[in-house]
Amino acid sequence: MMANPGLKLPPPFEEAIAPYERELMRFMVRMTGNHDDATELFQEMCLRAYKAYPRLEDFSEIRAWLYRIATNLGRNRARDNARRSRVIVDAGASYREPASDQIGAQQDVAAVRTLIEALPEKQRQALTMRKLGGLEYDQIAAALGCSIEGARANVSQALKKLKAEWSQL
Amino acid sequence: MSPQHPVERYFSNSDIPDETLDHLLREARQKLEPRMRVIRRSEAAVGITKSPYGPLLIAVGPAGLLMVHYLNTQSMQHGIAMLRLKFDPIEDAQAAEQIGDQIRRFAAGERDALEYKSDLSLVTGDFQRRALQRLMEVPFGAVITYHALAATIGAPSAQRAVGNAMATNPIPIYVPCHRVVRSDGIIGHYGGGTQCKVELLRTEGFAIGQNLRLPAQAVCGHRVTHIFCRPDCSAARRANPDKTLIFATAESARHAGLRACKLCHPQ
Repeated sequence: MMANPGLKLPPPFEEAIAPYERELMRFMVRMTGNHDDATELFQEMCLRAYKAYPRLEDFSEIRAWLYRIATNLGRNRARDNARRSRVIVDAGASYREPASDQIGAQQDVAAVRTLIEALPEKQRQALTMRKLGGLEYDQIAAALGCSIEGARANVSQALKKLKAEWSQL
Repeated sequence: MSPQHPVERYFSNSDIPDETLDHLLREARQKLEPRMRVIRRSEAAVGITKSPYGPLLIAVGPAGLLMVHYLNTQSMQHGIAMLRLKFDPIEDAQAAEQIGDQIRRFAAGERDALEYKSDLSLVTGDFQRRALQRLMEVPFGAVITYHALAATIGAPSAQRAVGNAMATNPIPIYVPCHRVVRSDGIIGHYGGGTQCKVELLRTEGFAIGQNLRLPAQAVCGHRVTHIFCRPDCSAARRANPDKTLIFATAESARHAGLRACKLCHPQ
């Protein structure tokens, strides 16, 4: 008998997330500032996403959905770290910025990163998703669970704050 | 903002090279694999097959048949959503055809055609599981009332709950919820539509007419004594209705291992 054109199955989990793995990893390196933490976070995200995958109904939303899981995990991790110890570990220890090494603006980059890390959680994540993940505002809004205007505002306020603080350095 | 601004430059220049990301991904996937193995769901072969009861969505898991879903009356999306909660669906037309073939043979009157093993993994409630398990003991050519089925699982006033359990039966036809009828002789509702229940019962020998009632010439079989009688037999009238099955014909009662009553001599 012929294959049934009516049957529409969701893609297998690995296949569904494959197109976004690289950008998610980039997002996690940004978020944690650390390769080891990023790989750890990536695993957590996969496990959590796999468990929740049956409840995902709209597959056009999968990118924002994955970012949402990632940001939630990032937030949990930041909170746990803050609770566990107030000692500031050099988060950038295993983190390199190869492109900026080449142009010799390492200090600037480090300074900007420090400023970004000091941003409020939501602004930081919105900014990272927008500027480094290249997401659209509606996807950021879905990931952060806020309105599109809210996402836009978070990004622009983050940028404004960065620039203001930069000029005060 | 000018492109020279350090904040802008940060975003335009500080991209992490793809090789680094790929390396990190490989590392993450390697560590992830054993952890995924622990939580990975089993795969279920899913396909659509045609049957005399309309198109059916079929799902077969490693331990047996998981789902028969009437696409005429139920939404495919809902069926797949139910399945995904416990299994990872993989399209497999062949597995569905194997089940479809058995169902078509069954519809043609072959009583032992449904030989594929059923797997009640998609059943969530303990009550429903018990009801469906006891229901599987009701043989071809016989029906039981909602009330009697409730009594067999130790809840004699739970006929409504049994009705709900039948309505959400994941494997109709194989787990024969069409063999459950109302105590007043009307055949009652069915997930695949009432007409579908009529067809299934006719296949098993019940001459269901326009009034949707069981025919008067059916015989009563006692589940404990294994004796079957005419419905008007004095012995049958004294029997506990909760222990009674209604057979389409004396032949189907005999086939199920019962003997004829020596008082009323059902032919």
